Amino acid sequence: MRRTIVLISGLLLFLLPQFLAFEGLSPAGAITLGMFLCAGLFWIFEPIPIYATSLLVIGGQLLFLSKDAPLVVAREFPYAVAQAPTANSFMGTLAHPILILFLGGFMLAEAASKYSVEKGLTRLMLAHFGTKPAYVLLGLMLATALLSAFMSNTATTAMMITVIAPIIAVLKPEDRFRTALALSIPTAANLGGMATPIGTPPNAVALGALASKGYNIPFSTWMALAVPLTLVALALAWWLLLKLFPSKEAKIELDLQGRFERSRPAILLYAVGGLTVVLWLTEALHGVPSTLTAFIPIALLPALGVIGKKEIRNLSWEVLWLVGGGISLGNSLQNTGLATWMINLVEWGSLGPVAVLTGFILLSIIFANFLSHTVTTALLVPIAISLGTSGVLGDAGSMIFIAIAIAIASSFGMSLPISTPPNAIAIATGLVTTPQMARIGIFMAVAGLILTLLAALFFWPLLPL
Amino acid sequence: MKASLVLLCVDDEPGVLDAVVRDLAPFENAFLIETASSVDEARAIVAALPAQGRALALALCDHLMPGVTGTDYLIALNQDPLTRPARKLLLTAQAGHDDTIRALNQGGLHHYISKPWQPDALRAVIREQLTRYVLERQLDPLPYLAILDTARLAEALRSRNFGDA
Repeated sequence: MRRTIVLISGLLLFLLPQFLAFEGLSPAGAITLGMFLCAGLFWIFEPIPIYATSLLVIGGQLLFLSKDAPLVVAREFPYAVAQAPTANSFMGTLAHPILILFLGGFMLAEAASKYSVEKGLTRLMLAHFGTKPAYVLLGLMLATALLSAFMSNTATTAMMITVIAPIIAVLKPEDRFRTALALSIPTAANLGGMATPIGTPPNAVALGALASKGYNIPFSTWMALAVPLTLVALALAWWLLLKLFPSKEAKIELDLQGRFERSRPAILLYAVGGLTVVLWLTEALHGVPSTLTAFIPIALLPALGVIGKKEIRNLSWEVLWLVGGGISLGNSLQNTGLATWMINLVEWGSLGPVAVLTGFILLSIIFANFLSHTVTTALLVPIAISLGTSGVLGDAGSMIFIAIAIAIASSFGMSLPISTPPNAIAIATGLVTTPQMARIGIFMAVAGLILTLLAALFFWPLLPL
Repeated sequence: MKASLVLLCVDDEPGVLDAVVRDLAPFENAFLIETASSVDEARAIVAALPAQGRALALALCDHLMPGVTGTDYLIALNQDPLTRPARKLLLTAQAGHDDTIRALNQGGLHHYISKPWQPDALRAVIREQLTRYVLERQLDPLPYLAILDTARLAEALRSRNFGDA
C-alpha cells in the first residue's frame, strides 16, 4: 500500500514540472527536475531498491534527454538534436573512471577475502597492541579503519565480528566491555571509509562530480585531506567507548597466529595488491591517475587466475550502478542548467560561504543518519558544486572542498541501526542496544560537523591541490 | 520480529514438552517453538506452516509414542521435499538399535540425544544444528547472529562480500 503510494507520487513528481512552466527553467531542465524529484523520493522511501532507482535514472535520461531519445528525434524536444548529449555519454557513466577505480578496489577486496589476507593483516596488526583491554580496543579500531579504507565498510565489519567473537565469548556476560568491542567495529569501519577515495561509495559520487567539472583529485591528495580527520575521529570514539563501557578485566588474550597463504595465486595477489596500493599512495609523486592504476588488478587478477568467475559474480555490481546513476543525474543537473536554476531560488549571497558550507555539512550528516550515504551525497553534491561555480562560495578551491566535505560528513552519519550496514550487523550481534549506538552516533555526528567544518576552513586550504 | 523458522518438539509426555520448551527459551527470540503431543498433531502443525510463510527448521522427536513412532515421522519428514532440509533430532530413551539405524539411514537423522538430558548440552546441540540449517539454506545470517554461532554466521556474511550502499 505504502509502496504503491510512493510509486504513484514519484510518477506525479516526475510529471509535475512538465506542466508547470517554471520561469527561467529550460524544457530539458524541467525534465531533469522531474527525474531528480522522482529519484529523490524513490531513494528516500525505497519503494524499489536504491540501485534500481539509479538504473531508472539512466534509462530515463536515454529516453528523454539523449540524441536518440524519441522526443528529441521526432519533435526536437526538449532541445534541438544538435544540442542533445549522445546516448553514449549517459551509458558511459556505468563505466565512469571513478567506477573503474572502485571496480579495481572491489576486485582486490574480493581476492583478499578469498585468500583471507584481511584476517592475516588484522592479526599481524593486533600483535603490536599487547593485552590491555584499552589497547586491544585501539588495535581493533585501527585495524578496522585501515581495512575499511580499502574494502567495503560492511565486508570489513563482518570479518572483524569473526575476530572479536572469540574474545567476547570469554568475557563475562555482565562485562560492559563487550559492548565497547561490538560498537568499536562499525564505528571504526564507518570512519575508515572516508580515508581513501575507494573507502566508501559516497567518495565516488563526490569525485565523479568533480571529475565532470574537470577537477581530478589524486588518491594521495584525498588521503592527505581525509586521513587526519579519520584519526582524530577514531581517537574521540576510542576515548568515549572506554569512558562509557570500561573493562573489568586486566588483560585480554587474543589468538594472534598470523596465517598467510603461500600458494601461487596468493603470492601473485600480494604482488599485484601491493603494487596497486603503492602506486595509489604515491600518485602525487608519479602522476599516474588512480583510475588508471586500478586497471592493474582488473587486468591481472583474472589473467593470473587469482580470481575466477565465482569471485567476479560476487562483486557488488549494484553498488557501482548506484553510484553511476548518482553521477549521471548530477551531470544532467549541471548540463541542463537545473542546478543553477535551483540555487537561484535561494538568496545565498546574504548567508556567506561559511554558513553555506556549515549548512551542507549539517544536511549531509542528518540525511546520512536516515538514508544511504551514497544517496545523501548524490542529492547534495550536484547542488553544492553549482554553488561553487556560481561564485557564492568564492574560488574554485571551495567548490572542491564543499563536495569532499559533503562526502566525508556523510560517513559521520551512524547513530541508528539503519544508518549503515555495519551498524545493522553490530545490532544483530545482540551486544549493542539502539540507545547505546545512538549515544556514540550522536557524539560522532557533532564531532563530525565540527571536524569537517574546521578542516574545510583552516586545514585543507593549507594543502597543495 | 515475526519468526519465520519453526522448532517443533514432539513428545507424548506433557512434562517432557514443558521441560524442553523451558530449556529452549533462549531461542524464542528468533524462532517459533511449536509443541505437539503426537505425530498427528505434529503433522497438522507442519502442514499449516507454508500458508503462514514459515518453514520447519528443526524437529526434535521422542521415539516411542502412541500411534506413529518418532522414527517413522522423521522418515516421513525426510521424504517430503518441503521438510527435507529441516534438522532432524531424536530425544529419547527407548529407541532400539534397529530404529536408530533406520532413523539414521532413512530419516536423515542429524543428532541423537538420550533422556535424561542436560539443559546446557541440549542448547548446544540445538544451536549447532540451527546454525548448520541457516548456513546450508544460505539464509540471511543477521537475524540469527546473536542467538546462534556468531563467528560462523559472521564468516558467512563476510564471504558474501556485499558492498556499502
